[in-house]
Amino acid sequence: MKKGRGNKSSLRNGNNLGMAIRPLGIPLVGEGIAMMACIIPALYFADGTVWRILAAGLFTVAVGITMLVTLPRRSATTGSNDRRISYLTVTIVWLALTIFGALPFLLVGIEKTGASETLSFFNFRFSIPFSNAIFESMSGLTSTGATVFADVESLPASLLLWRSTTEWLGGFGIILLVLAVVPSLGLNKYSLYTAEASSADNTGKTSTSMRTMVQQTLTIYVSLTLFFIILLVATGMTLWEAVNLTFSNISTGGFSIYGDSIARFTPLHQYILTIVMFIGGVNFALLYSFFTLRWRRIGRKLDQFGFFFLLTLLSSLFVVIALYGHGGLPFEEALRCGIVQTVSVITTTGSVVADTNQWWTPITLLFLLLCLCGGMAGSTTGGVKVMRVLILLRTVRNTLTNRLHPHAYNPVRLNGRPVSNEIITNVMVIFIVYVITMLLGVLLLMLCGVDATESLGAVFGCITSYGPGLGACGGFGSYAAFPAVAKWICSVLMLLGRLECLTILILFLPGFWRNR
Amino acid sequence: MFRPTFNFRLAFRLLGMLLIIMALAMVFPVGVSLYFGDGSQFGLIASALVILMVGLFLRNFLGVGATYELHEKESFWFTAVIWLVIPMMGALPYLFTSTVSNFTDAAFESFSGFTTTGSSVLSGLESKPQGLLVWRSVSQWVGGLGLILFVVAILHRLNEGSARLYEAEFSGTLQRRLHPRMARNVVLMWAVYSALSLALFLLLFFAGNSFVDSLCTALSTVSTGGFMTHDAGLAGFSNFSMGCITFFMFLSGINLAVLFCFFTGRWRQVRNDEEFKRYLLVLVASVLLCIIAFSIAEKHMGWSTVSFSLFHIASTISTCGFYTSSPSVWPMMVSVVTFLLIFLGASAGSTGGGLKIKRIMILARYVRNYFVRMIHPRAVLSVKVNGKVVEDLYVIRIFSYIFLYLLFVAVGALVLTICGSDIPNALCMAAANISNLGPSPVINNLGASLDYIQLQPFAKWTMMVLMLAGRLEVFAIVSIFLPAYWRVTR
Repeated sequence: MKKGRGNKSSLRNGNNLGMAIRPLGIPLVGEGIAMMACIIPALYFADGTVWRILAAGLFTVAVGITMLVTLPRRSATTGSNDRRISYLTVTIVWLALTIFGALPFLLVGIEKTGASETLSFFNFRFSIPFSNAIFESMSGLTSTGATVFADVESLPASLLLWRSTTEWLGGFGIILLVLAVVPSLGLNKYSLYTAEASSADNTGKTSTSMRTMVQQTLTIYVSLTLFFIILLVATGMTLWEAVNLTFSNISTGGFSIYGDSIARFTPLHQYILTIVMFIGGVNFALLYSFFTLRWRRIGRKLDQFGFFFLLTLLSSLFVVIALYGHGGLPFEEALRCGIVQTVSVITTTGSVVADTNQWWTPITLLFLLLCLCGGMAGSTTGGVKVMRVLILLRTVRNTLTNRLHPHAYNPVRLNGRPVSNEIITNVMVIFIVYVITMLLGVLLLMLCGVDATESLGAVFGCITSYGPGLGACGGFGSYAAFPAVAKWICSVLMLLGRLECLTILILFLPGFWRNR
Repeated sequence: MFRPTFNFRLAFRLLGMLLIIMALAMVFPVGVSLYFGDGSQFGLIASALVILMVGLFLRNFLGVGATYELHEKESFWFTAVIWLVIPMMGALPYLFTSTVSNFTDAAFESFSGFTTTGSSVLSGLESKPQGLLVWRSVSQWVGGLGLILFVVAILHRLNEGSARLYEAEFSGTLQRRLHPRMARNVVLMWAVYSALSLALFLLLFFAGNSFVDSLCTALSTVSTGGFMTHDAGLAGFSNFSMGCITFFMFLSGINLAVLFCFFTGRWRQVRNDEEFKRYLLVLVASVLLCIIAFSIAEKHMGWSTVSFSLFHIASTISTCGFYTSSPSVWPMMVSVVTFLLIFLGASAGSTGGGLKIKRIMILARYVRNYFVRMIHPRAVLSVKVNGKVVEDLYVIRIFSYIFLYLLFVAVGALVLTICGSDIPNALCMAAANISNLGPSPVINNLGASLDYIQLQPFAKWTMMVLMLAGRLEVFAIVSIFLPAYWRVTR
């Protein structure tokens, strides 16, 4: 069947849409397998969810395989249409994984009811509402860590593991996306993620192939996870806790299997988890170079890491002093809580070490600003990313000095190299769009009837993938009390924040779907 | 090697002249207080004399023999110093008439006046001397167009230097000149400004308001300052007066150049001005939203709803900051719209504050182009405003401006939270001060209210910095704190 040229290049063409959806197959199979792995705790703790989890997993795998078999492969064309398909793919993959990831919550939550129930589905009732399931799944896959379950400990073990696993997968997914997939699709031509300590930055082209990148990332991610699980178990944590917490902290997600997050663990364990979170906030290409002893490659190109480290250090110092001086905590507790919580915030993890709602308000505001800043580019963290903040600050400085010396050659430099105007405007556009999205998010939540402080906290928590907000949804709290509309808004914010706004917002441009 | 020698003599001379002008401007409040015999005569006369003497000392003693040359670099420094010293001196009347008890409060009130912010720490306005109320509004009027414009108009000899000072103080290149020659341009601006003030004063006075009420309100409205003469705000004014005030608030949010074109009959230029169109659009849209929100909340729609919405939106968008009702009774939608408008602000080149519509317009177009470029990376697209291409460098400057602006809001809010405010209130108050709006309108809706009166001195000084930063559009203030600014250049 032959198609006209104009028709072929339109996104409305079914063939093209198929191409956009096909890459979904492999992630879905992976997700299904991970789901099925969650039956292990179900069997061990005998919580009676084995069959339902298995069904969800099998269904997901089946759909994934069907897609791989039936849908057309992507042709090797380039051009504006190819780019559109890529944007669409990225969003679709994340959305679909979220919907399938919600299956275990829905299936486990199903209860048999009497026939008189009006809102029933074949005499079954979902005890976990759809909005909650999507919220939780989105929160996991974007490694946000915001939960809708007020009483986490009452959940069956399989679901607890599934929550941690979604975060682990989501964290891995985002690194893959920004380090390997996006550059290989030619989407982010000004990609910042590989700019530090990877082989890519010498030529400006991505010389590392996607396959190598995936391998490197996978190696480092998996071995770090295993190492910390072993370390935690060796220092006296149970395997069950160690697996869950390592999964959710290395991915800077922050789900916990306990209602009080990580507050109940010994100081040693909390410090280890802090290291886990901090590592999660470091660029994975940098980590790879570091652990494979390729230190020369890193060399003096540590602008971003230096800034990240300094920022963490100074803010921890402020928080510790504030907790000790103003909050009146004993020194040991102030030191520990200050450091652990600050690292948790700046890496947008969201593990909570104490009831932060009780802390002094300036600390809370500082936390909001820090999680907006986020960790390093090319890590699992959310937020604007330290790299961008650094570029923004230097641009502002240069704008000012350029007014003093209008004719001087005075470019913004990163790691000693001039940063092109394209990158600067890219960073600025992302920042502005981010801020506007947040502003609108707060206002929308307020219109939904959430109070101002909580909506502010929720928006910061969701869009930066930090997780906990302020007030009822902050500290050890949950988003359970939010109205359903607000939960949906939060879910959208999480997705927007994870994919850095532009990728999704472009889908809403009228020109995107038009054939040009 | 060239060592920058700052032209201190010129600075002293300019400063001295400004102080003399200020002392002369105090004739109004002194006259009013003598007429009413409100007991503040001596304080006001004393402060006027002190200001005059300092001015004369600076101009005729320290500033003798100044060379009228000004480098680009110096203009920032000049501007900052002038904007620091003048409000400080302007605080004297508050102290000398013992209206306020401490220096911080006096400085706060004075800074709030000269930067046309309108945040006030005074309460019980009816019991305050009339002369002082007039001085508050006069200070806003003087600060409205910019202090430096005074001297620029007088000093024909400043030539290029005047343009530099003008740019440092007044929105930089965003402002369209009314006349190619700087001195003439400034005179025209003052003419438009004074004409507006006079017109509003006459309207209010003949509508039956007292002399002081009409004078103060007229000065505060046209300068988009927002100091009021009664504790109850404008509640005592008749409908006609409120209508006049609304209309003049609307006018003062417009670029002065556009207004000038309007008054001189060049209507085509007014019609084609893109920023003016956006200004109208934003105004109409927000008024409609407000009307709808109020109608739903009160379950009926009447003329009063419409007029109140108009008044409220005009007051917010021009960053005037007059509010007649307590924000706690507003529907959520109104608060939301208000909050957005605080950031947006008025047109560039008007007396209003905020980020300015023109900047947002340029940004929005740039972001739109950026999205197109995400799909078509090689597309050549440019941002145009009023048919002129805006260069990338300039767009980056706007981005930096907004980033700094937000940074200032964040730091200001941090200080406010240290002083005990909760986070949304702190953000609102910081935003209201940096955009020179004044009373933080959304505040009561958000729970714990924090009045300016309750603020600790430290927080008050921070708010003053914010006001100043907002008035001078941040760059002039931040520049002088850069090490590069003071570094010896070759």
